[in-house]
Amino acid sequence: MGKACLKWTMLGSLALVFAGCATYPDPATTRQTAEKMVSEDFSAPEPTLLKRLVQDKSQQICSKIGDAKLTQEEAAEVVKLARASIQYPASGKLVGDWKAGDKLAHDGAGDRIQGGRLEKLKENGGLCQNCHALAPGEINVGNVGPSLTGYGLQRGNSEAIAKLTYERIYNAWAYSPCSNMPRLGATRHLTPEQVTHMVAYLLDPQSPINKR
Amino acid sequence: MPTTRGGIAAILFACLAAWGAALAQSDDPLGVGRKMLAEDNPGELWIEQGKTLFYQKRGPKNASLEQCDFGMGPGKLDGATARLPRYFPDTDRVQDLESRLLTCMVQLQGFNRDDIVKRAISPGGSNGSDVEALALYITSRSNGMKMNVSLSHQKEHEMFKAGEYLFFRRSGQTDFACVQCHGEANKRIRLQDLIHMTDKKGVQEVVSTWPAYRGAHFVVRTMQWRLYDCFWQMRLPELKYASDTSIALTTYLHYQGNGAVIKVPGFKR
Repeated sequence: MGKACLKWTMLGSLALVFAGCATYPDPATTRQTAEKMVSEDFSAPEPTLLKRLVQDKSQQICSKIGDAKLTQEEAAEVVKLARASIQYPASGKLVGDWKAGDKLAHDGAGDRIQGGRLEKLKENGGLCQNCHALAPGEINVGNVGPSLTGYGLQRGNSEAIAKLTYERIYNAWAYSPCSNMPRLGATRHLTPEQVTHMVAYLLDPQSPINKR
Repeated sequence: MPTTRGGIAAILFACLAAWGAALAQSDDPLGVGRKMLAEDNPGELWIEQGKTLFYQKRGPKNASLEQCDFGMGPGKLDGATARLPRYFPDTDRVQDLESRLLTCMVQLQGFNRDDIVKRAISPGGSNGSDVEALALYITSRSNGMKMNVSLSHQKEHEMFKAGEYLFFRRSGQTDFACVQCHGEANKRIRLQDLIHMTDKKGVQEVVSTWPAYRGAHFVVRTMQWRLYDCFWQMRLPELKYASDTSIALTTYLHYQGNGAVIKVPGFKR
């Protein structure tokens, strides 16, 4: 009895010592632990889809924890990678069809994975409505990103503006490194042609975005 | 039982139709809707269902879950979920409510793990899954108590830090991590409010309101579902039920939400 008691007391103090010693792992260990989890904890109908979980260099840089800030060098690298990623449509025409762009802007579907199936549609939606105010008076719009209402009215529709707009949609990080905006063209969520339609939707004077 | 549940569904449907009419007439439709939902939560109906499932002898081993230890000792449910996730020596893992429930359903009742996991997240508009009802019942036994997750074991520390890392980890074709949508106050995806989770009040709202009745799905949803669904929208592969990734994120959120008073079922859009 006495012996057992002693044994438990010793075990107890050992446990206390261990509890006292428990600490946060260092960042490298945490990274290793968490990356192992990511590699094991997701499933997909095709193995290639699991590659979506693998971070590219820019995503790694842009995953700052808490209030940690990007260094100037990191920001410069993200911008450099973003600029290099931008591809233009084969036609060379950066302003497409605003009606197609309107439809895309209000389409949030495509490429999601559920129940072992990939949501493969004719084309992916542009997702704009999720985060941006669009035409005046539209209520069902998000506010994670800035308002796009009157985008063309404020900027005009010069070639320079069209190019800037195209590039900002294709890869927002070329201008705002690590911003919340997805790199819609660079990640292949949208095709270059789809991006030109969104450019038209933002710039065309006939587009609902630019109606007062 | 299915008839009862069908009846319940019919009543729910009638209620929701009435809300719809009320919404259409109001100047502040969202405000009125939210208030009504908070006052009269159909998720309450699932609590009784969960309780029945908990005490019923079920599974190949014909056992109830009364011997299940959620960290306070076998069968001790009051306040148990307020302390989850936590480290469990018998499994040598940090577990959240749902992964612990799985452990018990497999070990005590002899259910097949894959079978439970397959059904854990029920189809919208269905009668819900056993796990959903059980998770709600068990959590309801902590109603009125404060979240009190502690990090003492080394594995709890590791889980918390992994969760933090994952909360900020961007990937996929949308370049999203959790923080892209949940890092600022007063943000919305379309009309849906996004909870500000890098803020104490926001994170407390998250940790104290799941499982919740999800109006759009007509069923009770759990934290595992919430995480799964976010990854789905992010265009990432499917988060495995009760995986370490899900437990890490839950540990990260729950620990920060300490002090929040648990009130389930929550009510979500």
